[in-house]
Amino acid sequence: MMNNLQRIQPPVFPVEKVSIPEAKSFGLNNGVPVYLIEAGTEDIMRLEFVFRAGQIKEYKPLLASTCNMMLTEGSQNYSPEELNRLLDYYGIFLNLSIEKDCSGIILFFLNKHIEKVLELSREILFRPVFPEAELNSLMKKRLRWYMVNREKVQNLAVDQFFESLFGKIHPYGYQIREQDFENMTPSLLSDFHSKYYTPENMAVIISGKIHYKTTEFLNSYLGNIGSRENDDEDPVRLLKSEKLKKVHINKPGTVQTAIRIGSATINKRHSDYPGLKILDSILGGYFGSRLMKNIREEKGYTYGISSSISSLDLTGYKIISAEVGQKNCQKAIDEIYREIKILQDVAVKKEEMAVVRNYMSGEMVRMFDGPFALAESFRSAWEFGLDSSYYYRLAEKIKTIDPDEIIELARTYYNINDLYEITVGSE
Amino acid sequence: MINYKRFSLENGLRVLVHEDKSTPLIAMNLLYNVGSRDEDPAMTGLAHLFEHLMFGGSMNVPDYDTPLQLVGGENNAFTNNDITNYYLTVPSENIETGFWLESDRMLELDFSQKNLDTQRNVVIEEFNQRYLNQPYGDALLKLRPLAYKVHPYRWPTIGMDMAHIRNTNLEQVKGFFFSHYAPNNAILSLTGNIGYELALKLTQKWFGPIEKRAVQSRNLPAEPEQTEDRILTIERDVPSTALYKAWHIGPRNRKDFYTLDLVTDLLAGGESGRLYTKLVREKKLFSEINAYLTSDIDPGLIIVQGKLMKGVDIQNADESVNEVISGLLSKNGIKDEMEKVKNKFESTTVFSNTSILNKAANLSFFELLGDPGLINNEVEAYRNVSYDMVIEAIKRYFVPSNCNTLNYISTREEK
Repeated sequence: MMNNLQRIQPPVFPVEKVSIPEAKSFGLNNGVPVYLIEAGTEDIMRLEFVFRAGQIKEYKPLLASTCNMMLTEGSQNYSPEELNRLLDYYGIFLNLSIEKDCSGIILFFLNKHIEKVLELSREILFRPVFPEAELNSLMKKRLRWYMVNREKVQNLAVDQFFESLFGKIHPYGYQIREQDFENMTPSLLSDFHSKYYTPENMAVIISGKIHYKTTEFLNSYLGNIGSRENDDEDPVRLLKSEKLKKVHINKPGTVQTAIRIGSATINKRHSDYPGLKILDSILGGYFGSRLMKNIREEKGYTYGISSSISSLDLTGYKIISAEVGQKNCQKAIDEIYREIKILQDVAVKKEEMAVVRNYMSGEMVRMFDGPFALAESFRSAWEFGLDSSYYYRLAEKIKTIDPDEIIELARTYYNINDLYEITVGSE
Repeated sequence: MINYKRFSLENGLRVLVHEDKSTPLIAMNLLYNVGSRDEDPAMTGLAHLFEHLMFGGSMNVPDYDTPLQLVGGENNAFTNNDITNYYLTVPSENIETGFWLESDRMLELDFSQKNLDTQRNVVIEEFNQRYLNQPYGDALLKLRPLAYKVHPYRWPTIGMDMAHIRNTNLEQVKGFFFSHYAPNNAILSLTGNIGYELALKLTQKWFGPIEKRAVQSRNLPAEPEQTEDRILTIERDVPSTALYKAWHIGPRNRKDFYTLDLVTDLLAGGESGRLYTKLVREKKLFSEINAYLTSDIDPGLIIVQGKLMKGVDIQNADESVNEVISGLLSKNGIKDEMEKVKNKFESTTVFSNTSILNKAANLSFFELLGDPGLINNEVEAYRNVSYDMVIEAIKRYFVPSNCNTLNYISTREEK
């Protein structure tokens, strides 16, 4: 029997065209936009409240994240213990979400508890009281977490990376210092909260097997939330890269050096972005990427190396990340630049193009598989004012991009002289 | 309710199939019944190193990853004390490539010296990254040999000494393969957009021809009962002192597993857990604290670990942990809390089973435990835990003579 079977690769079928269920949108009575994505087989839902209330809005380091973390620390009608107990009692998972541009909460729950979820959401989002005792104790805890995080070379490297790219003044860039954990007060938080956690600043994204009364319940719990008059201007800060391209931070006693290489770049709104995403995949975006093959699979310098590109509201960035043993650090860095250079000079062969095209097509199927993935993909386009057409453009680009275009993109966006190089480890 | 069908091949391969037409993908999970507990104490870390080698090409496939990427697939694997688990997802039309790849590396690996040399380095870098270059990274490396004196759980999956990894040779690797990697020592699960008929046909085609192998029988030394408490104190240059406590429990299949799981949830299931409420929120002794079961197949551990707030005495912190645990013996408010953690468990299970990968991994693992039906029955088993059972378990396991304590002292705080 064994001799009859030819152990060669079975036929390879092109990955079917990606299909994206469209979100249904409507407004609550107070104008808050709601997006419904029907998907899945279980009676469960994912409910995301997203606010334009990320770090970019803060006029003091840690303010946006602290405000977000204090949402569940007591409201008009519930003590912090009671809030947390109720969330657990109803089997609700609540994730706080704090990013550079947006913040909010994401809830996962069984449909039968939808009313409770909305009632608690209203308390958490619109009736927090920011008690001083809880705030002080949170800041003490956060300081401890911070001290532990600053022991890790990868955190030091990422923090420095953002500072180098976006400067010491802009919230995209500045690093947190020990003294930032002092002087946080309830009134700072409630000012920030009343300014940014408002109906004008928010959207609701819901996915799952959507409960038939969702719209009605949303309106009755959240449709009459109003906002305070507010004429304050948002703070304006300079977004400006640091001059110094190479930064090494000495961290004695470490056995590996963290490497971060990259620079600011275009974001999702730019028409070159889909192509850049493909270039990034070839370089370091998946297990079969060149960096992974060369630096891990061929040379064994690292447990993992990757590259990625990300979008922010005002800009975007690309970053290559690895932790490497001290003695191979420079060799790894040289190889990174060498791989970038090759992408600028040599056309990607047909075989590799086929692998990356098909891998990415499969990845797109995974991005729209099930209610949670769908909501995340929706959100990451919506944030930039984009919709499913962005993904269709990406899918099309994956199929049609040619090697010359890749060279062009590598030359335009990976100018080696523009790249920042951050290393953290012992000298 | 997760419907599944089960069959086995003549060569001993066991297969589980769960069809879910709502997804365009198929998940394939191949569990090998071999983990770090099966290693020679003089050559630890081999099971995990082997997992790395499994991606370096097999008899008819020079490179595992590329053909899978070519069909839009993605994969990974993990090794623990008990099992080595390989999994992939792929758009359903290309599932046969998954069969081709997985069956070929079960048939025989391409044992190349070059691949071994590279992956030894990768694993050593993994060890450095996870254990040496992280604050508190070595804590569990110290806690294991404190709790286990005889049983192989005394060493970590990555290996107790990187010299073992450095010294591994090709002959040992080959020997390991033929004594553990075999159809009769593996469980295959397929979930997602695949029907039973196709699963059966493809499994027979690709795995059917692989011969049964003589699998090394497992004869592990049982850990003798601990008779007095053990305390280890170490000093490290870290920002805060940390406390780790471990108590021995029974094997995964013992009836009280779900009782103990519920106890850890009462203690640390979310922010409303007792340890967090009492020791982080009220007394402000810890900045973070957690409790969990190791969930090993052989007798495992229940672990409580936390980081202390500045200036807190570790003796005081330790006693307060014991107080919270013995506080569970008082009936006050417990009924509501039991209901709370049961609801949360149910919710967790429902959410976990929305993923075809989780379903595939669970089916394989529960089959290994002897009952794939657990995928549907766990919630009931957990719901059936009564308060009397909780009391019995606490009195049985949380006794000082069964306890191992690691005091992880910050040298910075002393100054």
